[in-house]
Formats: sequence, structure tokens, C-alpha cells
Amino acid sequence: MPGKDTVAERITDSIPRVDNAVAVGEDLDFQRQWWRFEKAAWVMLALVLIADALGVFGRGWLARAERSSADGNFSVRYERVERAGTPSVMTITVNEGAQQNRQLQLFASESVVEVLGAQRIIPQPESSTLTPGGLLYTFPMTSAPAEVSFELEPSFPGVHTFELRVPGASSVQGKVLVLP
Amino acid sequence: MAFLTILRAIWGYVFLIFIGRIVGRRPGKQLTPFEFVLIFYLGGLTLTGMVGDEFSLTNAICQIMTVAGVHWVITAVRARSPRLARLLDGTPLTLLEGGYWRTQTMKLMGLADADVMAAARDKDIRTLDDIGMATLERNGEVSILQRQE
Repeated sequence: MPGKDTVAERITDSIPRVDNAVAVGEDLDFQRQWWRFEKAAWVMLALVLIADALGVFGRGWLARAERSSADGNFSVRYERVERAGTPSVMTITVNEGAQQNRQLQLFASESVVEVLGAQRIIPQPESSTLTPGGLLYTFPMTSAPAEVSFELEPSFPGVHTFELRVPGASSVQGKVLVLP
Repeated sequence: MAFLTILRAIWGYVFLIFIGRIVGRRPGKQLTPFEFVLIFYLGGLTLTGMVGDEFSLTNAICQIMTVAGVHWVITAVRARSPRLARLLDGTPLTLLEGGYWRTQTMKLMGLADADVMAAARDKDIRTLDDIGMATLERNGEVSILQRQE
């Protein structure tokens, strides 16, 4: 018998006893269900990996997107699915029509700089001006077509919209899903 | 964001438990090189995602405390809920009983006769015939009971 101050309880079987055999506590019904679940989980994992390789979660074939402005003056290549903290490149190709006085002006919405995390712009713009809703970059431009690249590194997961515009011409809007 | 790093720590812990459970139990009291690789590799890979670009001591301490907290909660719930315990640890499985192999269990748990025999030798049992019962325990060990004459 336990002492007076000891907290104790008489032994009872939580595992069913059959014919005084070894109490194993095996639950084959549960285990069979688990095996089925395990099989399904492996199939799921395989599908996730295939989707990943194809770029469903970014950095692959299915993640790539391209949009052109309505007037055809410029187009944007970007990744519609990005990963937080992972670098990517958004490339804008401009045609002759976007050029004005040997200059290219390009408006980028705030989201490109903030949530999509533009780290660097290539080539370096001659100037960048704060405008409502975003930044206006000015590049010297002598020949067309030309390319401007934004090196992005998004930090916030979520769906983000961006807009790029050549003032006086049409704009391109897009959505980017940033995964954590 | 600090809130996200806490969520990441919780997610990393839960996801690793899930993967560990899916990968399954392997017999043996000690880790084989296979399991070493698995554990260190999974741990390292998880770390990159959990830490992200926050290399601060503050982040490390908060994430460690988060993981410890989640572990404490799960342990507490597991002690009260046999269903959760069964889900997290599985149930013991009989591998050999009364001279018969449980072939389905052996196959699906990825076990070979040699694994059972290795556990039997540990108990001074020389042949398979002397085994009364072999059980795959929840921690992956094979426990052996000698056949009673």
C-alpha cells in the first residue's frame, strides 16, 4: 500500500486482456487505415514534387508569364508565382514607340519596389521621380528594342498586383502570387 | 515579421512530425547511417526555411521557445487523448506469433526476417522457432518474447 501522502490509483487495464495473453495493444484496424493514409500521403508528396518541378510553386516553366501593353509598345516577362526571399528578374522589353527624345520613361507601381522588393534596376536609371502611386524612372535610350530588368526579391507572402506604364502610352498590369 | 517566424516554427515542427510518421518506423536500438542522414538532412533543410533571412539571436530564442511550447502542448494533449497518441505514435504491431509471420505487417512496415532475428539474438534466442512472439514497438524497437514450452 502506498504511504499516506502518496497519490496513487489501483492498476486497471487500459489494454484489453484476452485469455491472459501478452497485452500488446495492437490495433490492426487503425493500422490498416493508417497504411491507406500513408499511401495517399506518398501519392500527394509525389504530386507536390512534380508540381514543384513544373513550376507551380514558382521558379519554373509554369510560373513564367508574359504580358504586352495594348499598343504593343512594351512587354513584361515576369514570374506569376514567386517565393519570399528568393531572387527573380522582371524584364521589360520596349519598342521604338515607347521612346521619346532619346529617353524612355517607365512608371512602376509602388508594389514593385515595396512588396515585390526591387533590389536593383538594370540599366541604372538616369533619374527616378516620386509620383503618386509609384516611381517614374527615366533611362537614356538610343536604340530599340531595349530591355530594362528589375531584380526582385519579394518579402511578403500574398497576392500582389503591379503596374508598369510608359507615360502617354498604355500600361501593363499583372498579379504575382508570393509564396512563403 | 515576428509573427510569421513563430508560425514558421510551428509549421516546421508539425510538418517534420508528419514526415517522420510517414517515413515510418525502422527497427533497431541505435540509429543506422541511413537514419543519421535522414535526421540531419531533414533538420538542416527545415532550418533554412524556418530561419529565413533572420539570423538574430532574438529570432532563434523565440523559435526555440515556440517549438518547446508546441511540444509541451502536444505532449499534454497526447497524455489525455489515446486517439492522438495512436495517431502520433501508431500502435504496437505483432510481427510473429505462435510460429506464424504476420506477412502483411512485415511487408508494409518494410521489415525482413533478419530484423526480427537480430532482435532475437539480443535476447539469447538462437532460432526463429524459439520466438514466441515478436512485436514492433511504437518506438521502432522489435521486442521478443521467448516461446513457452
